[in-house]
Amino acid sequence: MTASVAGGLAHELAAAVEQLRRATVQVRTRGRATGAGVLWDAGLVITNAHVVRGERATIELHDGTAAPARVVRRDLRRDLAALEFEPSGAMVSAVIRDAPPLRVGELVIAIGHPGNLVGAAALGIIHAAERAGERRPRWIQADVRLAPGFSGGPLADTAGGIVGVNTMMQGGLALAVPASAVAAWVRRAHAPVSA
Amino acid sequence: MSTVLQSLSTELADAVESAGRAVVAIHARRRIPASGVQWRPGVIVATHHTINRDENITVTLPDGTTAPVSLAGRDPSTDLAVLKLAGQNLPTAKLRSDSPPAVGELVVALGRPGPSVTASWGVMSRVDGPWRTWQGAEIDSLLRLDLAIYDGFSGGPLIDAAGRVLGINTSGLARGVPVTVPVATVERVVTELLERGTIRRAYLGIGTQPVRVPESLARKLELEGDVALLIVSVESGGPADRDGVLLGDVLLELDGAAVRDSGDVLAKLGGDRVGRQLAARVIRGGQVKTFQVTPSERPTSRAA
Repeated sequence: MTASVAGGLAHELAAAVEQLRRATVQVRTRGRATGAGVLWDAGLVITNAHVVRGERATIELHDGTAAPARVVRRDLRRDLAALEFEPSGAMVSAVIRDAPPLRVGELVIAIGHPGNLVGAAALGIIHAAERAGERRPRWIQADVRLAPGFSGGPLADTAGGIVGVNTMMQGGLALAVPASAVAAWVRRAHAPVSA
Repeated sequence: MSTVLQSLSTELADAVESAGRAVVAIHARRRIPASGVQWRPGVIVATHHTINRDENITVTLPDGTTAPVSLAGRDPSTDLAVLKLAGQNLPTAKLRSDSPPAVGELVVALGRPGPSVTASWGVMSRVDGPWRTWQGAEIDSLLRLDLAIYDGFSGGPLIDAAGRVLGINTSGLARGVPVTVPVATVERVVTELLERGTIRRAYLGIGTQPVRVPESLARKLELEGDVALLIVSVESGGPADRDGVLLGDVLLELDGAAVRDSGDVLAKLGGDRVGRQLAARVIRGGQVKTFQVTPSERPTSRAA
């Protein structure tokens, strides 16, 4: 039965990746692909501030449709940017994981666009997690190897819940802004976009 | 419903959580702490190269409290150190000693470079027979890992997917390449360090260099092999010097076994050889001579 477990695992992993790709966009500024973004809500993309330097960008959705977007909010300290665009019809937006807290060793999936690849996936585990009663950490640390095109894209659990926004590699570890911090930032700093 | 994927994720996190309860942070160097594992009740195993002092060593326990520990002994040749922790109710690591890890097996390296446990994952990339470290210790099996090393890696346990400990990780034995010292070796070293505080190793006080014996000489002396060890240094007053080994002797056999590299010599210098005579067969002045040498106990940080 070992082969069927591995087979089932591969199948489920591919399905989880496919689901995440639908909530991941490409971000282009001045015609150049600069990174990834998370389809946070209808008409709202969250990415890294370092992915969108200017005020305008183009986003390309999973289905290949492109839309002009503008930067409505930027936070250099958290390396976050919010992009608004005109949603065309129904679209999938990311499922944010609020609870339970992340556990060290838990599997995580990152989606991004390194080099010429679109919608590439990387699999890893949570390297460190916050302790009960401790101040929330600024970064999620994951043991997953990411290339520059992963910046701004989602880090998600095996159920497809977004746990963070991938931001950089440091000392062999991927650092992601925790989804809870992103959600709080969006709530606080961003007026509701969908009426 | 991704049941298998989610089960794997949960099981990995469970394994980290249960095994992590026996992992402590060791404060015995500047900057980043290293890791250690409660191997037996009150006995913490750590790596020698991350312990830069013999006194004032403390550990951070999984519950965040700090406790003093005393150094019971260290063995640079296996890069292991043993610390004693008194009066704490810490779980002991679950060891997997019945079956060795297999190449391709999913493994997790744990560390505690601070109050929180950290993990990296990968697979066993190589599993092989016994090997000898450059300082002469025999490690029961070679366990090489395909995973990333982080702060706190050394001294932490390598665990399987069920959370059982396969050995102690170190980046200090193979030039920064991650290796795991297997359970059997750790057991042996812990027992000896607790009993004696050091690992006894015999030593002769010689430096050797492999040389090819000229064919004509080999034929004349009726030698079997053509490689032997030229004695290139003899420590003044050391066991070999005392027993009459001379610079320029060519060592053919030690204790009845042919020697072709320094590892063959080290293989004859286990702790049980201290003070016991060994027959040395050498070429000296074109003649084969056999005489007795008696190793003494190796002072710290000497090789052969």
